[in-house]
Amino acid sequence: MSVVVDNACTQIWDAWEGGASVTSLRVSPAVYEAVAAARTGEVARHYPLMLLGLPLVADHAVATYDPVVI
Amino acid sequence: MLTAEENEVLCRVGPGTPMGEVLRRYWTPAFQLGDLPGPDCPPIKVTILGENFVAFRDTEGKLGFLDELCCHRGASLTLGRVEGCGIRCLYHGWKYAVDGTIMETPNLASTTFKDRVKHGAYPVHEAGGLGWVYLGPPGTEPPFPNFQWADAPQEEFSVSEIIMECNWMQAQEGSIDSSHVGILHLDTLATMGSGPRSVGSLDFPGEPWDLDMQVPGGVRRLPGEAPRPGVWPSEDNAPKIELETTPFGFHYAAIRDADEPGKKFVRITAFVLPYTAIIGGTNGGVIVVPRDDYSCSTIGVFRMPPGSDKAAMEARARRGIDPAVWGPEPENRVLKLPKQDREAMAAGRSFAGFRGGNRVQDGAVQTSAGRMYDRAKEHLVPADLAVIRLRRLFADSIRLIEAGHDPVGIGSDYESARVTAVSTIIDADQDWRELVPGHQGTAEAAR
Repeated sequence: MSVVVDNACTQIWDAWEGGASVTSLRVSPAVYEAVAAARTGEVARHYPLMLLGLPLVADHAVATYDPVVI
Repeated sequence: MLTAEENEVLCRVGPGTPMGEVLRRYWTPAFQLGDLPGPDCPPIKVTILGENFVAFRDTEGKLGFLDELCCHRGASLTLGRVEGCGIRCLYHGWKYAVDGTIMETPNLASTTFKDRVKHGAYPVHEAGGLGWVYLGPPGTEPPFPNFQWADAPQEEFSVSEIIMECNWMQAQEGSIDSSHVGILHLDTLATMGSGPRSVGSLDFPGEPWDLDMQVPGGVRRLPGEAPRPGVWPSEDNAPKIELETTPFGFHYAAIRDADEPGKKFVRITAFVLPYTAIIGGTNGGVIVVPRDDYSCSTIGVFRMPPGSDKAAMEARARRGIDPAVWGPEPENRVLKLPKQDREAMAAGRSFAGFRGGNRVQDGAVQTSAGRMYDRAKEHLVPADLAVIRLRRLFADSIRLIEAGHDPVGIGSDYESARVTAVSTIIDADQDWRELVPGHQGTAEAAR
């Protein structure tokens, strides 16, 4: 998870540096499930899963260690 | 965030744990040299990385760092007699030299045992007021981290240690987190002279409240005095974070809009794996060392200008802190938080309500997360980039060690003495890397 979060965070700063806004974070289903398993309280309350302040989206096209900031 | 399993791996440091194996591959600051002031002085017990040791200074002044328990029947050598170039166990008189040689076994006439077996002993290096030890496999010692203050005369640096009862990563992550400074430390900034500030919708009057606290630079603003420009020259509490991984760890810059148009306020921290944050705006660093899984030492090492009064400076480090809360004596280094002054908070006189300065304020929040914080519950934000990168470097090191390689930042490709940090105002278009020449920790010119 530390690699995924680091890569995503770096992308966010790069996007901001380029003047872009970011709206969501696409991750592999395995990462999504790992976050869901760790955040059982938020899942139980039907809160959206979020990482680095962005809504998390499971995407089969995304590799495990290469999240995509949109 | 980390999963529960990843959090365990990150936090636990005992022998055989993944992180414990990583940390044992670096020189580790283990004790204050001031606790072993002279030849044959009383030994001390040292707990680091979940293990107990005895440190002593022999008749010739050499330091010994041995497994704590006598290898005969397990009595603590911290009870022992330091004499005749060794330390003698009280129980049956076994005596050990600084290198672990078993010198005498009075209840065993044969020399076969002591000739063939040695007690656990570890290399020790004296530098910067601290005794550093290497607990890794024999023969794998990396270069010693000779920080800028390491070779200074004893009278030119001060060392102060606070033991905090929480996992070391809670303190370590705080040491590289610049975005809390303009919030948690508002009382310190007020005493330094920064004046009114805001936190979100809260307007904090910024009048000095805790006049006895230690403040960086030692200059205080008294109640009623005008704010001093330049103390913390930014109202920006959402700094832009730029981070560059280096051979020693990373440099990271918290960049804030400066009060002055066309300028930016840059605060650069150098993190030297695995323990040391060299913090811009100070003349030293903060070293966080795990004692065990649930306690750590935070050690401040700061170089003083020649001619400074060391005793006075070290006393100032504890200024405003009740000796019952934290003192210099070995038995009184565990931080016990003072009562939070809710009345002063409600009246707008204090933001955090903790007297004693930054280290007490830091200790309050870092220990408040519990003995070992569960990072599955956290919600990191991009401003936490340094914390995020720190965890990644440790994760990378764990993988490297498991693959039979050296961990990251072991020290063979940089010079610790070249690693610097700074806090200053620069032109908005200037690259902060120009402020830390040789920012890779090498002789390479700044970009």
